Amino acid sequence: MLQHFDPTLDHNRDYGTPASLSEKLVTLEIDGVEISVPEGTSVMRAAALADINIPKLCATDNLDAFGSCRICAVQIEGRRGLPASCTTPAEAGMKVTTQNDKLAKLRRNIMELYISDHPLDCLTCPANGDCELQDMAGAVGLREVRYGFDGENHLDAPKDTSNPYFTFDASKCIVCSRCVRACSEVQGTFALTIDGRGFDSKVVAGQDEDFLDSECVSCGACVQACPTATLMENSVIEMGQPEHSVVTTCAYCGVGCSFKADMKGDQVVRMVPYKGGEANHGHSCVKGRFAFGYATHKDRIRAPMIRDAIDQPWKEVSWEEAIGFAAKRLKEIQAEHGRESVGGITSSRCTNEETYLVQKLIRTAFGNNNTDTCARVCHSPTGFGLKQTLGESAGTQTFDSVMKADCVLVIGANPTDAHPVFGSLLRRRLREGASLIVADPRYIDLLDTPHLGDSMHLPLRPGSNVAMVNALAHVIVTEGLEDGEFIASRCDDGAYAKWREFILDPRHAPEAVEEITGVSAEAVRAAARAYAKAPNGAIYYGLGVTEHSQGSTTVMGIANLALATGNIGRDGVGVNPLRGQNNVQGSCDMGSFPHELPGYQHVSDAAARGRFEAAWGVQIDDEPGLRIPNMFDAAISGHFRAMYVQGEDIAQSDPNTQHVEEALRSLDCLIVQDIFLNETAKFAHVLLPGSTFLEKNGTFTNAERRINRVRKVMLPIAGKEDWEVTVELSNALGYPMNYSHPSEIMDEIAALTPSFAGVSYDKLEQHGSLQWPCNAENPIGMPIMHVESFPIGKAQFAITEFVATTERANRRFPLLLTTGRILSQYNVGAQTRRTDNQVWHDEDILEVHPHDAEERGINDGDWLGITSRAGQTVLRARISERMQPGVVYTTFHHPGSGANVITTDNSDWATNCPEYKVTAVQVEKVSQPSQWQKSFQDNNQRQQKFLREAGTVVEGGK
Amino acid sequence: MFQSEQEHLIQMINQIALNNISAGDESAVADIVAGHVKKFWSRRMKGQLFDCLAAGGEQLHPAAKLAGEKLRAQVS
Repeated sequence: MLQHFDPTLDHNRDYGTPASLSEKLVTLEIDGVEISVPEGTSVMRAAALADINIPKLCATDNLDAFGSCRICAVQIEGRRGLPASCTTPAEAGMKVTTQNDKLAKLRRNIMELYISDHPLDCLTCPANGDCELQDMAGAVGLREVRYGFDGENHLDAPKDTSNPYFTFDASKCIVCSRCVRACSEVQGTFALTIDGRGFDSKVVAGQDEDFLDSECVSCGACVQACPTATLMENSVIEMGQPEHSVVTTCAYCGVGCSFKADMKGDQVVRMVPYKGGEANHGHSCVKGRFAFGYATHKDRIRAPMIRDAIDQPWKEVSWEEAIGFAAKRLKEIQAEHGRESVGGITSSRCTNEETYLVQKLIRTAFGNNNTDTCARVCHSPTGFGLKQTLGESAGTQTFDSVMKADCVLVIGANPTDAHPVFGSLLRRRLREGASLIVADPRYIDLLDTPHLGDSMHLPLRPGSNVAMVNALAHVIVTEGLEDGEFIASRCDDGAYAKWREFILDPRHAPEAVEEITGVSAEAVRAAARAYAKAPNGAIYYGLGVTEHSQGSTTVMGIANLALATGNIGRDGVGVNPLRGQNNVQGSCDMGSFPHELPGYQHVSDAAARGRFEAAWGVQIDDEPGLRIPNMFDAAISGHFRAMYVQGEDIAQSDPNTQHVEEALRSLDCLIVQDIFLNETAKFAHVLLPGSTFLEKNGTFTNAERRINRVRKVMLPIAGKEDWEVTVELSNALGYPMNYSHPSEIMDEIAALTPSFAGVSYDKLEQHGSLQWPCNAENPIGMPIMHVESFPIGKAQFAITEFVATTERANRRFPLLLTTGRILSQYNVGAQTRRTDNQVWHDEDILEVHPHDAEERGINDGDWLGITSRAGQTVLRARISERMQPGVVYTTFHHPGSGANVITTDNSDWATNCPEYKVTAVQVEKVSQPSQWQKSFQDNNQRQQKFLREAGTVVEGGK
Repeated sequence: MFQSEQEHLIQMINQIALNNISAGDESAVADIVAGHVKKFWSRRMKGQLFDCLAAGGEQLHPAAKLAGEKLRAQVS
């Protein structure tokens, strides 16, 4: 593995320079103390490991040594001068002295120069108590500044307050370059540079612009790296230094970054990415680090509410009354319409424990399998496709694995926007020389990675993924690039023979599919060769693969590529789905799907079902329940009458909004548990306040199957963690649930789920995180899967016929719309829209290629009506060459945009994952909002009024 | 305005058949379709498929129709 969990490291300490991964040890002596360290370790780090702290300013352990401040100078026996300990590698037999009179004088002289050009306002400085310059002045014993403060200086340098989250106070800068290096080495954006020479040297953003106007992505790595108050969180400037910290897990994307919530009492002062987090190693993005203000936003629902009909005002009630009302309604509906007339949706934003409880509630108290989850609309094809081929519904690698990849194939993913911390890691590997292939209709930012080596873009047409993946496989097979040994030893002979015959057919040749994909055969052949010939080829994919009518086929085609080239079962390779939400993997693992119990155990499996029946004390239905789209159909036809929705906004996130709205209106009882009055809640009869990740205990499982602790840092705003609400609803329905802490729920999960058998909160405390499967065979989890065998024995090649979507451009709808995310906003935007992230993206825009714009007389900023066979909406135009002609693009973060009013009911053949990525549309200039948007605004105003009348203060619901 | 529940199910099962069309002859494709429906469809959805078959199943792809018949035979 690339990163071992090292329990001896204190992740709250700064060891000065990064760890060496060498397995060879060298022994040296520092101040008379003998210590053995991996070869390549700096003297500074070696000293720190021996608890000897050498003063430092420009060094920090997540950046390569730089050697500019010289304050870390040491004396080494037999060597001339006083070398910087940060840039000097430890060598066998070395004898190092870190403290003597000569060194002390040198360090004081250096500090004296720094301080002569630094404001001496320590008592009122926001960094007071957390300033490395202050610490070093103390450490070196600085007592006077002989130069005075009247000479030329930078003390009047202006502040840049353009970024909503941090301030750049140039007067406090010591030009150590830590921010510049963090921006390049850690984040990979290269937005910061040192401008000028000598005394004129200064840190600048972009082309000497404001931070906000530069290409800065506001990841905050510079703020974290700054040793002074030069780059400082505005929250710290306002609130002062935190007094305690709690390590927890981010609730945004599937990377699952670990953070230290720096607290003052029950107030979050700042979120600092935790160095001990195995998914992020101390890095984060603008969302995780800064966009947490929604947790205490005034729009939060603070009390339970009920109403008899959705055209009535809400009535604020006690928890007991709301739960009783919901339970009574559910019972009445089941009595009248049958056991299967109700169901529920678990949330990929909630914890494993909460998700487990909701599906358990449905299978026990509701007595049916009508449970589904928002993974239905994002990665359900991953679950299906990888289970069919590799035998397990999960990605095969760690994130760190990418650092061993030689060729990275990214299909239908935009990691720098949607999975930014992984995007930064990938960029680091690309800078080191790995080659990049991007198969995507858009020219994504990854292709603009600074210092990128070999790269190619396959700008395929939306909907042609399967044809592309098959063409790549065809080249691999016909050009003899397969890994015969791997196939013979690890793959099923019969399935391989059938697949080989299928893929050899000339109809899959790149030349034959050029018309379908729009990509030249030559480029496809080059890409196939690059991937197959690389010592380690890794595939990363996202929703651009899954959200198609052939999403499952593409996932299986991707697995075929990895199997054919032997790129499975070691570091640097694999099949890596980049999961959308923080706990998509976990919600699938926890049995949220209607056909599977926790751990992907099918409901028709009598032995598995029997274990759950024995533990839960009920009989479980052996037939699958309804998926979300089937729930909607059944609701409209009157057979499905009530739903319990925890933490998902189906009215905004699911396709064909008008269809969803009709389904929701058809329900006799909709119970919504959420932190805000979201779009779905506007159709609800019971609104139960949800709790954010800061208000509860539990676990999330990220895209690398890593189970990480979520820890409560403040009390739930409405008094209950989400799991407690589910427990009370279950009890009110007559099925007793008794848990006093989520750890007890995890114990139950472990007892019933083979892949979680070894997981417990105690073990998570001990190891930091665990990657499932974690059981008797893998007591501390399994970072890389399928190393020696597959869960199904031999891997199964799958036949991947390309069946074009029925959603095709035609004369009426000549353009193809595809949708995606932007860095600053997150999915339906419920969280990020209630933060200052709005400064980057306060409305969804339709990107149109100049050719299509010119044909229609469209200019930047025009209002455009976008019409599909499902509906119409209106967005503002941006002319962009990121897409090819004929393709338009938008995000879906703002409910009033109605992006999903135009997406259709088309879905993946195997899983019903919606085809968000392909909608045939026409675009024309208009002068007013669409009919749907007008009625959306009317309903929004009405529902906000109903909420105000309930006594809850609601603002921001314009 | 929207597809009926049964229309949607017919579209779904036909789509399953088309996407597995290269699995072999019609019977082999039907086996895959039947297996998929058995594994993933709810009791009521299966019932509606049988209703469609009882009504002649003319909108069903031949392999989907055969799959439905195989499933019906298993149930009865």
